[in-house]
Amino acid sequence: MLEIAGLRAGHGGPEILQGLDIAVGEGEFVAIVGPNGAGKTTLFKTISGLLAPSAGSIRFAGRDLLAVRPPDRPHLGIAHVPEGRQVFPSLTVLENLEMGASTASGRRDWARNLERILALFPVLAQRRAQAAGTLSGGEQQMLAIGRGLASSPRLLMLDEPSMGLAPAVTEQIFARLAEIHRDGIAILLVEQRVAEALASAERGYVLEGGRIALQGDYAVLSGDDRVRQAYLGL
Amino acid sequence: MFAPPPLLRAIAPVLGFLLLYAAGFLLLSNSYYLLVFTLVPVWAVFGLSWNILSGFTGLVSFGHAAFFGLGAYAVALAFAEWHVSPWITIPVAGLLGCVAGLVIGVPTFRLRGHYFALAMLAYPLALLHVFLWLGYQEVSLPMRREDGAAFMQFADPRLYGLLALAGLGATMLLTLAVARARFGMALLAIKQNEAAAEAAGIDTRRAKLAAIVLSGGIASAIAGFYAVILLVVTPEAVFGMLVSAQALIVAMFGGVATVWGPVIGAIVLVPLSELLQAELGATIPGIQGVVYGIAIIAVVLAAPEGVFWRVADALRRCRPLPGIAVPQESAALLAPDPPPAEAGEFILEVEDLHKSFNGLRAVQGVSFAVRRGEILGIIGPNGAGKTTLFNLLNGFLAPDAGAVRLDGRDVRGQRPHRLCRAGMGRTFQVVRAFPRLSVADNVMTGAQAQGNAAEARRITAAALHALGLAEFAARPAAGLTNLQLRLMEMARALAARPKLLLLDETLAGLGAPEVEVLLGIIREAAARGTTIVIIEHTMHAMVRLVDRFVVLDHGMKLAEGEPREVMRDRAVIAAYLGSKWQREDA
Amino acid sequence: MTAQFLEDLLQALSAGISVGALYGLMCVGLGLIFGVMRVINFAQGDFMMAGMYVAFYLFTAAGLQALFGAYVGPYAVAILAGPPLFVAAWAVHRLLLSRVTGLRVLALEGEGHYAQLLLTLGIALILQNGGLYLLGSVPVSIRTPLSASAWEIGPLSGEDITVFVNRGRLIAALVAVAVVLALFLFIHRTRLGTSLRAAADNAQAAIYMGIDVERAHRVAFALGVAVTAVAGGLLASAYPFTPYVGLEYVIVMYAGVVLGGMGSTAGAFWGGMTIGLIQQLSTLALPTQLQNTAIFVVFLIIVLLRPQGLFGRSVERT
Repeated sequence: MLEIAGLRAGHGGPEILQGLDIAVGEGEFVAIVGPNGAGKTTLFKTISGLLAPSAGSIRFAGRDLLAVRPPDRPHLGIAHVPEGRQVFPSLTVLENLEMGASTASGRRDWARNLERILALFPVLAQRRAQAAGTLSGGEQQMLAIGRGLASSPRLLMLDEPSMGLAPAVTEQIFARLAEIHRDGIAILLVEQRVAEALASAERGYVLEGGRIALQGDYAVLSGDDRVRQAYLGL
Repeated sequence: MFAPPPLLRAIAPVLGFLLLYAAGFLLLSNSYYLLVFTLVPVWAVFGLSWNILSGFTGLVSFGHAAFFGLGAYAVALAFAEWHVSPWITIPVAGLLGCVAGLVIGVPTFRLRGHYFALAMLAYPLALLHVFLWLGYQEVSLPMRREDGAAFMQFADPRLYGLLALAGLGATMLLTLAVARARFGMALLAIKQNEAAAEAAGIDTRRAKLAAIVLSGGIASAIAGFYAVILLVVTPEAVFGMLVSAQALIVAMFGGVATVWGPVIGAIVLVPLSELLQAELGATIPGIQGVVYGIAIIAVVLAAPEGVFWRVADALRRCRPLPGIAVPQESAALLAPDPPPAEAGEFILEVEDLHKSFNGLRAVQGVSFAVRRGEILGIIGPNGAGKTTLFNLLNGFLAPDAGAVRLDGRDVRGQRPHRLCRAGMGRTFQVVRAFPRLSVADNVMTGAQAQGNAAEARRITAAALHALGLAEFAARPAAGLTNLQLRLMEMARALAARPKLLLLDETLAGLGAPEVEVLLGIIREAAARGTTIVIIEHTMHAMVRLVDRFVVLDHGMKLAEGEPREVMRDRAVIAAYLGSKWQREDA
Repeated sequence: MTAQFLEDLLQALSAGISVGALYGLMCVGLGLIFGVMRVINFAQGDFMMAGMYVAFYLFTAAGLQALFGAYVGPYAVAILAGPPLFVAAWAVHRLLLSRVTGLRVLALEGEGHYAQLLLTLGIALILQNGGLYLLGSVPVSIRTPLSASAWEIGPLSGEDITVFVNRGRLIAALVAVAVVLALFLFIHRTRLGTSLRAAADNAQAAIYMGIDVERAHRVAFALGVAVTAVAGGLLASAYPFTPYVGLEYVIVMYAGVVLGGMGSTAGAFWGGMTIGLIQQLSTLALPTQLQNTAIFVVFLIIVLLRPQGLFGRSVERT
C-alpha cells in the first residue's frame, strides 16, 4: 500500500536519507527503529509533505504521493501522529478529535470513530471538555493517536510515541496500538525504543545513517548484535 | 574585519562621489532643483543613521522620527526663542539625540521581535502629541538679514548643499570606520545570531546601546540642519510616520549594512518623490506616501536586502572573488592559557542542578565533574535534557537550584559573554552564518576578546589554518558545505581560546569521512589543553573519542564512567533499547 | 470627593465604556489576525479608515440613509462596511501578504517578522496617502440625530449628580458587543472557527490533519480586517475623521491587544475596553490633547513591564 523507493532527502547540505526502500502492506504493522539522527523524522516529514525529497518515489495506494499537496495528503488516508504529540493546547479534547476528522471519510464516520476512540482511551472520555494543554504527557499521546484515528485512516504513522513518557505509560500505548492494528489499520511506527517497537510490529527496519541497515521480524532482529551496535556503538 | 581593503581604496570612492556631486551641484542654478539636490544628502544621512542601528544589528527601528523630531525642534526652538545659532545647536542636538538613544535603548532593547517594533513606533507618536500640546504647532525660524552667515543663513543657497554634502561625507566615513572596526563586526554578529555572538564574548547589550546612541545622535544632528533649510517645523513634518518610513525605505531600498545603500536609496527615491510631489502634488495629494509605500512593498517582495546587494551579487557571479592570503600562524596560538598553579583537578563542577519549565522537569538533580584536559561525552535518548544542560552551563538559562563552578569559581547566573571571557566556549547546533560575511570574518568574531586587532588577526589566521579553511577564507559563508560550516563554527569557537569548550551536536548529519575530520580536530584541540564536553548521538564516533561518558535520561543522570562500563550498564541499555532487551554482552 | 468630581468621574466612566466597546471590537479584529497568523498588521488602522469611508459613502452617496432612515442607517452601514473590506483584505492576503507569511515564515526568526511588518507598513502608506487623494482631507462624519441626544441618568443618590449617556454612542457600543459575540460564537462553535484556533495553536500539526493552513490564515486576516472595519463604521458617527485617522488607532489597537494579551481574542476585547476607559478617565487629569499620549505611555509601560498582558500566551523577551 505504501511503497517507498530510492528515497533521498535532506534539509539542504548533505542528505539525511540516502536511498531508502520501505514497504508497508495493507493492514501491516511495520516498525522503523534506529538511533537519533538516523533520519526517522525526516522520513515522516517527506511522506507528509513538509519536506521535498531530492530523489526517489513514494506511492500510496498506487498513487504518486509526491504529486499531492501536503494539506491534501491526509485526505488520501494517511494519518500522521507527530513527534512530541503536538496537540492543540487551547482546544478541548473533543475539539482536537474533531480537527482530526477534517477529511471527508473522517466526517462521514465521525460517530463510529468517536465511539471507538473513547473505548480505546477511556481517559479521553473523562476529559473530553478539558483543554488539551492541561493533559499529562501520556494522555496527550493518546489524544494525538485518537486524533489520527479520527480521519478514518488506512495508514497510521506514529513518530516516537514513547518519547518523554514513563515506561508504564508506554506499555499501555503499545497495547492500544496492537488493538488498533487488529481493527485492520496499517501502522508505520518510528521509535527509538527498539524492543517495544519490534515486539509489537510484524516487521521492522533498522535505519542507520540514512540507510536501511537491517530488516526482518523481531525474532530475526533481536538475535542480531548489529542492532545494538547501531545504538550503542559497541 | 580580517582583511579590510586598504584605507585609501575604501575612502577614494567616497571622496570621488562627493566631489562629483559637488560639481554637479555647483552647475545648477534653479532653486527648486538645488533644494532637491540638498535634500538628497540630508535623507541619505538620515538613512545612514538608521543603517548604523537597524542595518547592522537587524533590529528594525520604525521610530527614528523620534530622534529626528527632537533634533529639529531643539535647533528650531533654540533659534526662534533664544536666538542661539544653529552652528552651536546642531552639534548640541546631536548630543541630545545620543542621550535620547540611550534613554530609549535601555528599556526597549529588552524586547524582541514584534514588541520592539511596536514600542519604537510609539515613541515618535507620543512625542508628536506632547509637542502639539506644548503649543509648538508651528515653529518658524526668523530671517536674520545682517549676520545671516553666523546663523547658518546664506544668500547663496548652494552653500547649504555643500554643508549637507560635508555632513554626508562625515557620516559615510564614520560608517566605513564602524564597518571596518570590531564594533561593526560585533553588530553584524548580533544580526546573524545574537546568542552565538553572546557566547563568543561580545557584550551584546553594550554593542546595541552604542549603536543606538550613535544612530540617534546623527539623526538628531541632521534633523537640526533640515530645520534650518526648511525654516518651519511642525510636529507632523518631523515626528510623523512618513519620516520614520523615509529613513527605513531609503536604507532598505539602497542596501542595508553598507555605506552605499542609503546613498543610493536617497539618490533614487528623494528626487523621484519630490518631483512627483511638485508636479502632481496639487492634483494628487499624498503622492509621496504612495510612492514610498510602493517602494517598500517592492523592496520586501523583490529585493529584501536592497539594490546594492542585488547588483553586488550579480557582479560576483560574473567575476570570481579574489582570495585572501592567510598568513601562516601556528596552531599553538589557539592553546588556552595554562591553569594557575593552585588550580584544582576539576575545571567544571556541576552540583545538583535543577531546571523546570512550566512544571516539566527538564533537568533534575544532575551532578558531575569534568577533569581538566579530558574529553567528556554527554549522551542520552532524545528529550533527556542534554541541550537544556548546556544552556544552563553556558549562561543562557538560569538554574532553579544547584551550583556550577568553573575553576572553582561560582559562575551560576552569569551572562554568556562573561563566561566566554572566563574561558568557556560553545558551538551551536544550528549554524546560521551571515551569508555575506566571509569565512575569515565569521571566524574573527570569535577572536573579539583576544587583545588588539593585530593579535585577533593572528589568532584568526591560526584557527583558519588549523581547521583547513585557509583557502576558503575569502568565501562568503553562503556557499559552504555542511562540513565547512561546522569547521567554521569550530574555528570561531576555538578562536576565543577557550579552556573549556562545549560542543553541541557538532557531528550531526555528517557522513563518516567528515566525522573523522572533525574528530581529528577535536583531538588536536584537546591535545593543546582545551577541555572538551560534547553532546552527540553518533555513537560510533563518541565511543572512540571520549574519555568518559555521562548518561542522561528524563533529566536525570543515569550513569557515569568509561565508555565500556557505561555501555554495558543495564539501565543505560534499557534507556536506549527498551527494558525488554535481554542481551548480555560477550 | 466632591460632587462635581464624582459626576465627572461617572461621566468619564460612561463615555469610557461606550467608546471602550468600540475599541474592544477593533482590538478583537486585530487580535484575531495576530492570534492566528502571528502577523503585526501596521495597516489595520488604515483598513479601518477605509471601512469608515465605505460606511460614510454608503450612507450618503449610495442613499442608504434614505433606505434605512437616520436612526437605523448609521448602524446598518457600519455593518455593511464589513463585507467589502473582507473581500479587499482577502485579495491583499492572496496577492501580497501570503508571500511573506505562513508556515515557512513561522519557522524563521527575526527576518521573517520584519518582512511582514514592512509589507504592512507599505500597504498602510499607500492606503493613507491614496485615501488622501481619493477622499480629500476635509473631515467628514455620519450625521445622526442620535449622536446629539443623550439619556439623562439622575439626579443620583440625592446629590446633584447627573450623568448624560450619549444615545448614539451607547447603541453603537451595543452593536459592537453584538458583533463580538457573533464572532466569538463563530470561532468557538463552528468547524471553520475551530480550525482557525487549531492553526493558531500549532500550524504544523494542523497541516498533518489536512487543514489548509494558508486558507485559514486568509480567512483570519479578512475576518479580522472586516471586524475592525465595522468598528470603524460605528466610530464614523461619533467623531469626524480624515484619511489620516488610521495611524492613531493602530497604536490604540495594539495597546489594547497587548494589554489583553496577544493571542487571546477575549483578552483583546477587554484590553480594548480598558484602553477606552483609560483614555476617557485620563481627561480628568490631563488636557484632552494628551489623551492619546496617555495611551501610548500606558502601552509602553505594559510592553516593558508585563508584555504578556492580562491573559496572554506568547511573549518575546530577551
